[in-house]
Amino acid sequence: MTMENIHENELVMKRLFENIVEGDLGMSVASAEKLYSNGVNAETIVTQCVEPAMKSLNDKCTVDNFNLLEIMLSGRAVMSVMKILFLSKKFPDTTIGTVVLATMEGDAHDLGKNILKMVLTASRYKVVDCGKNCSVEKLIDAASAEEDLLVIGISGLITSTIPLLQKVKEILVKNNLGHIKIMAGGAALKQATAESLKVDYLGETAFDGLDYIRSLHN
Amino acid sequence: MNSLERVAATVNFKTPDRTPVIAQVFGHAAVLAGVPLGEYLCDGKKIAECQINALEHYGNDAVFALMDVNVETEAVGSRLKYSENEYFSIDSYAVSDKIDIDKLEVPNPEKAGRMPELLKAARLLRREVGDDVVVVGNAIGPLTITTQLLGMEKALYLAMDYPDVFVKLLDFSTEVCMTLGNALIQSGAHLVIVFDPSASSSVVPPGFFRELELPRLKKVFASFKQAGSTASWLHVAGQIKKILPYYPEIGVDIANIDYYVSPEDVKKILPNMCVNGNIKSLSFTDATPEGIASESANLLGNLEDRGGFILSSGCEIMPNAHVENIEAMVAAVR
Ligand code: B12
Repeated sequence: MTMENIHENELVMKRLFENIVEGDLGMSVASAEKLYSNGVNAETIVTQCVEPAMKSLNDKCTVDNFNLLEIMLSGRAVMSVMKILFLSKKFPDTTIGTVVLATMEGDAHDLGKNILKMVLTASRYKVVDCGKNCSVEKLIDAASAEEDLLVIGISGLITSTIPLLQKVKEILVKNNLGHIKIMAGGAALKQATAESLKVDYLGETAFDGLDYIRSLHN
Repeated sequence: MNSLERVAATVNFKTPDRTPVIAQVFGHAAVLAGVPLGEYLCDGKKIAECQINALEHYGNDAVFALMDVNVETEAVGSRLKYSENEYFSIDSYAVSDKIDIDKLEVPNPEKAGRMPELLKAARLLRREVGDDVVVVGNAIGPLTITTQLLGMEKALYLAMDYPDVFVKLLDFSTEVCMTLGNALIQSGAHLVIVFDPSASSSVVPPGFFRELELPRLKKVFASFKQAGSTASWLHVAGQIKKILPYYPEIGVDIANIDYYVSPEDVKKILPNMCVNGNIKSLSFTDATPEGIASESANLLGNLEDRGGFILSSGCEIMPNAHVENIEAMVAAVR
């Protein structure tokens, strides 16, 4: 790699960061492809552009100043960038843990879950998405199929799913999966406490969820 | 005063005989009557019977001809996953990449999907309560119909990537909303509450609301008024502090307020508008009757003197809510 190349790459890295923050899908993909073809490795791209860009979105995640649209646009750009990086080459060692996500049966809301998925994917976690309206059985099947599963993340927007959520820990234990942690979040659940929901952690924002997962293996 | 007079007086900042109380009891009416929620959501006669039963039980000031947020999208062509005891969800969306938006047809409320049953509910309820109790019909707002036709994420990405196509779909949704709302008023609803959760600042920024949804809601409520609606009631869930200043321009008479908005905010932002709210929905399942009583007393203490206040939950009271908690809220105004 020439000096000129290195200099160019630095500029493109900066651009990619901005493209993601601005939620520009086309430019984000173009910048990522440019870096990749210049020989910058995927891990560098993720840790130096994608992760910091997602982190800067944290400020847009407060109750009073919440900008879902911007987060979604950035998230979409990130997902496309990750796809390019993951598809062009296999990076088994770039995923640093596995998370299963769902919203429970009876709950058709999934925006919050999808944001969490974007944030975790951007931070190199493998996310198994069980979708919305997910039955406990389906959740347990997905959890037992994963080796080295760190956490099950449950997003809840309607309170009527709380009784179902409260049973998940118990069912995990019955299936010898008691070591798997459960974290919860979403507008309905965050009005409650982790203890009353029988989960290990209750997060305000998607980024709190990320911090919690990180705390499990750091 | 009967309920209708009481609510009308309150909306106009005149002094009612007591503060009106409206429990947002929808699917809960089915549970209260021992009817499976899934049956209730498809059957106008059951809705009317269960709502009357809830009215007799709780004695609050309104009944609702209201199913869920999927009525319009189903009538246009979305397929739903029906369920016996839960609210339904959407299995496949009416609008996909292959559908020509210009060819979409506004559904006829007398024929399409569950709309005829909803009209039947309004008709039966009005026949039953006459002008004693407020009969509230329900239509979904343009933006939420659009997100329910396409799926939330697809709709929002469309708005950003192809704004012209999005606006076309939003205009179509506006027609759907107006057609159903007007049919409800013709069928006997005194007024129509417009639900527009996707317009919440929890979902779209206030600028988006102002540019795209405000003019359409204005048109919708103007047409309801022309059809004879008693008042314009707007219900946007979640955080809405930044869009409340637009409500007067939309022509809203009653603004639903969730727990994110405080009585102080109301006094500051909407000094001349009637509001209903704002006890947390979760409290009706989680808290005790004493808790609800004290929350109610607090709200009354804060807003009763100002006038223009209807005691209510901030959102839907969920089907599994505790009966005693709803009773406690109603008792607070007596
Ligand atoms: C948009 C919306 C909808 C959309 C959902 C579209 C979709 N694809 O998700 C539509 C219109 C479809 C909808 C439908 C309904 N809705 Co709705 N909806 C909302 C609204 C306005 C915003 C929710 C939202 O998406 N916010 C944005 C997201 C990104 O925020 P979030 O999920 O909280 O996520 C953030 C954090 O919480 C966190 N997070 C989320 N999950 C997790 C998980 C973990 C593990 C962690 C760590 C963090 C985390 O990350 C995110 C970013 O930081 C809320 C109002 C509110 N108060 O929130 C009502 C609300 C949630 N809906 C409600 C209801 C009742 C319904 C319906 C039942 C209405 C009906 N009667 O038919 C139906 C649901 C049908 C069903 N079976 O579920 C109620 C729930 C009341 C209650 N007490 O439970 C609310 C509170 C408002 C209301 N009017 O009553 N709704």
